[in-house]
Amino acid sequence: MNASLAFLAPALPACAFFVIVLFGRWLPRGGAPVAIAATAGAFVVFVITLLGMLSDGASAHSIRWFEVQGQATFTWGTVIDPLSVVMLGLVAFVALLIQVYSWSYMREERRFGWYFAVHSLFAAAMMALVLADNLILMYLAWELVGLGSYLLIGYWWEKRSAAEAAKKAFVTTRIGDVGLLIGIILLFKATGTFSISGVISAVETSQVTQPTLNWSLILIFLGAMGKSAQVPLHVWLPDAMEGPTPVSALIHAATMVAAGVYLVARLFPIFDAGSGILPMIAVVGLLTALVGAAMALVQTDLKRVLAYSTVSHLGFMMLALGAGSVGAAMFHLLAHAFAKAALFLGAGAFTHSTHQTDIRRMTGLLRGMRLTSIAFIASALSLAGIPPLAGFFSKDEILLAILDGHLGVVFLVFALIAVVLSALYTGRLLFVLFSSRPFVPEGDKAARGREGGAKAHAEPTPGESHAVPHEAPLLLLLPILILAVLGAVAGLLAFGWTGSYSGFGAYITLGHDKGFHIEPWLTALAFLLVAVALLQTWRSYISQSDPLRSATAFLAPARRLLERKLYFDTVYQWIVDRVVVTAAQVVGLVDRAVVNDKGIEGQGILVRYAGAAMRYLQTGMVYNYALGLALGAFFVAVVWWILS
Amino acid sequence: MLELVHLQVLSAALFSIGLYGVLARRSAVLVLISIELMLNAVNVNLIGLGAFADRPAESRVFGQILAIFVITISAAELGLAFAIILKLFRSRGSVNTDELNLMKW
Repeated sequence: MNASLAFLAPALPACAFFVIVLFGRWLPRGGAPVAIAATAGAFVVFVITLLGMLSDGASAHSIRWFEVQGQATFTWGTVIDPLSVVMLGLVAFVALLIQVYSWSYMREERRFGWYFAVHSLFAAAMMALVLADNLILMYLAWELVGLGSYLLIGYWWEKRSAAEAAKKAFVTTRIGDVGLLIGIILLFKATGTFSISGVISAVETSQVTQPTLNWSLILIFLGAMGKSAQVPLHVWLPDAMEGPTPVSALIHAATMVAAGVYLVARLFPIFDAGSGILPMIAVVGLLTALVGAAMALVQTDLKRVLAYSTVSHLGFMMLALGAGSVGAAMFHLLAHAFAKAALFLGAGAFTHSTHQTDIRRMTGLLRGMRLTSIAFIASALSLAGIPPLAGFFSKDEILLAILDGHLGVVFLVFALIAVVLSALYTGRLLFVLFSSRPFVPEGDKAARGREGGAKAHAEPTPGESHAVPHEAPLLLLLPILILAVLGAVAGLLAFGWTGSYSGFGAYITLGHDKGFHIEPWLTALAFLLVAVALLQTWRSYISQSDPLRSATAFLAPARRLLERKLYFDTVYQWIVDRVVVTAAQVVGLVDRAVVNDKGIEGQGILVRYAGAAMRYLQTGMVYNYALGLALGAFFVAVVWWILS
Repeated sequence: MLELVHLQVLSAALFSIGLYGVLARRSAVLVLISIELMLNAVNVNLIGLGAFADRPAESRVFGQILAIFVITISAAELGLAFAIILKLFRSRGSVNTDELNLMKW
């Protein structure tokens, strides 16, 4: 019973993937029980690892993979410390609950077994990523996560939009991954090792020159931006909603998007050593938090609101990292993971019952699906920052980190604005979703034909809007409730309860971060802002007596801007259409005209024409040949005479 | 007095006449005869060079031995060539080299 068994955590689901892919058709229910058993096994491994770590402390275990003589040694290894073990537990636990949920949710699907196979692969890759003790292994797992997301988002690949979304997620994150790979190689060139602890110690003893370090850090952060959906590489995440809802829950909660935050947290000592890198991360994170929250304000599709909310919260995590607090970032990641998984699973249950995805058309949820609704509301309020739910503490810890850190007061102001925005979209989501009448605000004319297509046009027919939805089956309900409860109470982890545990942030960073404490004025200010924002949304959506309505009319252009996703997608589409496709056409033309027509076919044509021209030498007249022979001999004789 | 150069001039003249015959004659028979002329030019050259070589007397017959080989082989070759020409005449009714141009493009 020790921590060296941790490698089994990714190994079990990985084996499940191969078992299901190879033998799934002969297994009951397409092999899904194998996947669930493997993930449950991974969770057991996590418990064993946790116990081992608690008794023996942090450790690392690795075996040699191969060695390039005198150059480098490649290893398979796991690193066991609070950071990786917490992430491992989070991934295993959330993946397990989501698989249980999927068992019921995906019941009707044709490729049921395949879904569970890819789900296992995805979970395995993520667990390998958090456990990896060297950058090569981590990069491998990183790419496998990308592959898993591609397969899961494109699970309904018969649907064109799903296939496109999968491609978009893959290509967008790949843009970052290229940076990550180059950054890893740069670090390897500078330090001669891929081992994370080796690289960190090399950087801390200043073996790496500052420019090299900065460049590799920027490139590595590019990878984290892609995976963790930071502006401007966030565009794949809302589109990833095309996948099945449990997939969204998995991607948005514990895997994939957490990978980028985890990467920066894992390599934090290096990022800390770079000059100007942390402020850059903070700026990117702050921008992401603001942009994501602002865009969540205008979405009408339930899953898309949640998606932009995820973007925003990932921005908060990066902001915390940029402020220098790994503890705050990881704590927010934990709180967000539970709450967001519960929200997505709840959204899946709502859609399951109402056959609607538009929040304005869902009605009667509070009456028909009381438990799910309560869980949903609790999780949403947790993310909005309502005490005593976990999100309140994690958000507070981030604000505190900004206050205590090296960032200026400007960051704090904008972070508070982002907090207000997130409270606003949460309020809008909850009030519109749970109001008892179908909710199509008058501004909908402008939104016509935007997204949702035909659905946005259709008036709700009485049959679909007034049917009272019924509570989801137990297998759907149970994971939602568990996650919601965890998302609500996880805030307790923030405080130091015993002598050896001085708060989550201090624990996870091995004492690097100080313990969490409440700065009264900041906490009160943040809470006040959130409360005012929620009150304002209640006024505009429920009580209909909005004193700010006329005052905010000037915001209409901003709203249109947000509804067009700040033109990110438009610009990217333009770049793809004009630049990428044009470049591809030029390359294709060069390939066809030069390489193919001239190079390959040209040789054949040359030989054919040469043969056609030279065959006339073969006259068939014997005296022609004789003349040639004689002249040749004469020529040789003349040459010999000249030379001698 | 007979010198080596006289024999070589004779040989060159014979060779040139033979070469002209090979290139200019149209009849395959005359071409063959011209080839014989060229071979004999070579024989004259061989015998002359052998006889005037700066060597012991008993080795001066080497050129003549070589010439006898050439004569023997050219006799055999002529037999073969005339057999081919005979067959050619029977099948095509002509031994004119202008008309023997089947082996072209």
